[in-house]
Amino acid sequence: MSIIGKKQKNFRPFFYPGSITVIGATNKKEKVGHIIFSRLKTSGARLFPVHPKEAEIMGVPAYHSVKDLPEKIDLAITTISAERTVPVVRECAEQGIPAVIIVAGGFGEVGTKGKDLEKELIKIHKEYGIEILGPNSLGVFLPETGLDTIFVEHGDKALSGGGKIAFITQSGSVGTESLGLASNAGYGMRAFVGLGNKIILNETDFLEYFGRDDKVNCLAFYVESIDDGKIFLEKAKEISKNKAVIVLKAGRTRAGQTAVSSHTGKLAGSDRVVNGAFHQYGVQRAFDEEEICDASKALSMLPQPEGNRVAIITAAGGYGVMCTDYIEQKYPRSALEMAVFTSETQQRIREINLSFASSHNPVDITASADDEMYAGTLDAVLNDGGVDIVICIVFFSPPAATEKLIDLIAERAASSKKPVVVFTQYGPYTDQMLKRFYDKGVVGYSSIYRTVRAVRFLVERSRIIHNLGGNV
Amino acid sequence: MITSWLKSLNIPNLPDEWEVKQLLKKKHINVPEGFILKADTDILPEKVSFPVAVKICDPEILHKTDAGGVALNVTEETFIETVTSMRLHFPEKRLLVEKMSSYKGIEFILGGLIDPTFGPAIMIGAGGILTELYKDVTFRLVPLDRDEALRMLRELTISEVLEGYRGSIMDIHTLADCIVSVGDLITEMGNHFNQLDINPLVYSEGKWTALDGMLVLNKGINTPG
Repeated sequence: MSIIGKKQKNFRPFFYPGSITVIGATNKKEKVGHIIFSRLKTSGARLFPVHPKEAEIMGVPAYHSVKDLPEKIDLAITTISAERTVPVVRECAEQGIPAVIIVAGGFGEVGTKGKDLEKELIKIHKEYGIEILGPNSLGVFLPETGLDTIFVEHGDKALSGGGKIAFITQSGSVGTESLGLASNAGYGMRAFVGLGNKIILNETDFLEYFGRDDKVNCLAFYVESIDDGKIFLEKAKEISKNKAVIVLKAGRTRAGQTAVSSHTGKLAGSDRVVNGAFHQYGVQRAFDEEEICDASKALSMLPQPEGNRVAIITAAGGYGVMCTDYIEQKYPRSALEMAVFTSETQQRIREINLSFASSHNPVDITASADDEMYAGTLDAVLNDGGVDIVICIVFFSPPAATEKLIDLIAERAASSKKPVVVFTQYGPYTDQMLKRFYDKGVVGYSSIYRTVRAVRFLVERSRIIHNLGGNV
Repeated sequence: MITSWLKSLNIPNLPDEWEVKQLLKKKHINVPEGFILKADTDILPEKVSFPVAVKICDPEILHKTDAGGVALNVTEETFIETVTSMRLHFPEKRLLVEKMSSYKGIEFILGGLIDPTFGPAIMIGAGGILTELYKDVTFRLVPLDRDEALRMLRELTISEVLEGYRGSIMDIHTLADCIVSVGDLITEMGNHFNQLDINPLVYSEGKWTALDGMLVLNKGINTPG
């Protein structure tokens, strides 16, 4: 279904509802309807639970049916079974409710019967214009207002700080679990959207919506299918002039052609076309949940590098060597180079550091270096015109290194136009240290591989901006 | 242009190599000089500049080399014998007689297909008979511009042969032009287009030349007008 030529859709009820009705809200603690309702109690929206028998749900007056609701409602959330959902959505539409999130599964993903139910829902949408998110959707989470329609946020509230990423996912679990893990080391989202079976609203709709949202600078998608492939890409190309667009396209579908008689068809599989098309339209590709979180974290927080020359500062030689190997690996779309320092920079590094430190890239300041030596070296390297990006390999176990390094690096990263990316490992405290870096605005990772990969995303993004003639 | 070409096909919707090459020519892709020798035509060696390639020209024979339907470097002395022998093995079939192209260096493949999610796409990469083994290919959606075509070429492992690797002289810019032209062709063919292989595409006497071409059209699409 093409979305071209349609008027702009109204997404506001999904993200800023003044009033919400929850159909399926219940006092039974183990039910989804209970969890959702209790989550929403802190969202600030006025709540109207619908329950066939109960007079109140968790102390809030309940209504026996949608028809009994006392005022015009902005958003409906249904948690009841698939079969019972269809008539309830019709009632919502009849009451003029503009938007509904259908949490229940048991629709198109289970077979023909479920598909038929979806067709009914599409009919209701066409008749009344009610916007439908789902079915089989985890709904939305907006840290700004605390609106969390279903368990996106984990108990530790690690995502509540917000950020600039819009995370849109076809699979709810991939979203919540990967974000939960990423948040241990710090991850900042503007919004989360669970697309589910996307019978009405799909990835292209939210691409457009968040493309217009000034509070978003990076859009990350997990999808197994793209409904309007070319339209999605064309819009992505426009948006990626100003914002990063990352897509994790899972599931390598075979080309649908009945007979693939050409070499071209055999070589395509389907995945090589996805690769080429994404590149052509300014979309960056991730292949798993860790990569999409790492990439979006870097792209949403760091300045764009002017070039691809990387400097490494390390307190441990071995990590510097591994990092150099990764940087020098051939990777045509985002080639990296080891920066070559000017003689002034080398002189400065020698002045600051111990006599046995290396003044070439990678700069090995050794485990005997103290915080001031690290900070001074970072200053020298950032000031070198031949350096575009700095990777700081940081350890807290050497005797002269202290946690003050976090502030020292954060101050320098914040005042530089060049991206500074941290790698650190500190046994069981690794994530904790990364989180402390994050809280000071510094992007960091717990492996050399992930660190260099994030840097490649930055360089690839610079190239996309260059190719598309956009700006940041 | 497409419409009149479709109407001219010997078998509707089933173009043979000669017909595909005529279409490519219209799109400014160079093809070897040649002509069709029908099954009932006299052999006229004086028309030919030797050496030549003699090939069975039938869209239903997909692997003509394997079937013994290709003779290369045929000279004036062996021409009549070759044609007679091929006519014996493939009675009623048309033959394509082409001037042999001399070329050095790597063979490319330039192809197209319809991707189920994104629509018409184009591919360039290392060609020849081992193309599916090397898998050194890259795709884009069509249409595309010359800068994008150049980016495609620079993504290939073999791209260095286009930039003077070990003294090679193959022009990257005119190859990019071929990609753009074929991209436009695929776009213009619209619903008729299904799959295309130009393999090999070689650099011969300063021109990128399609030595073979296979085009699959969608059946059941009516030719307009």
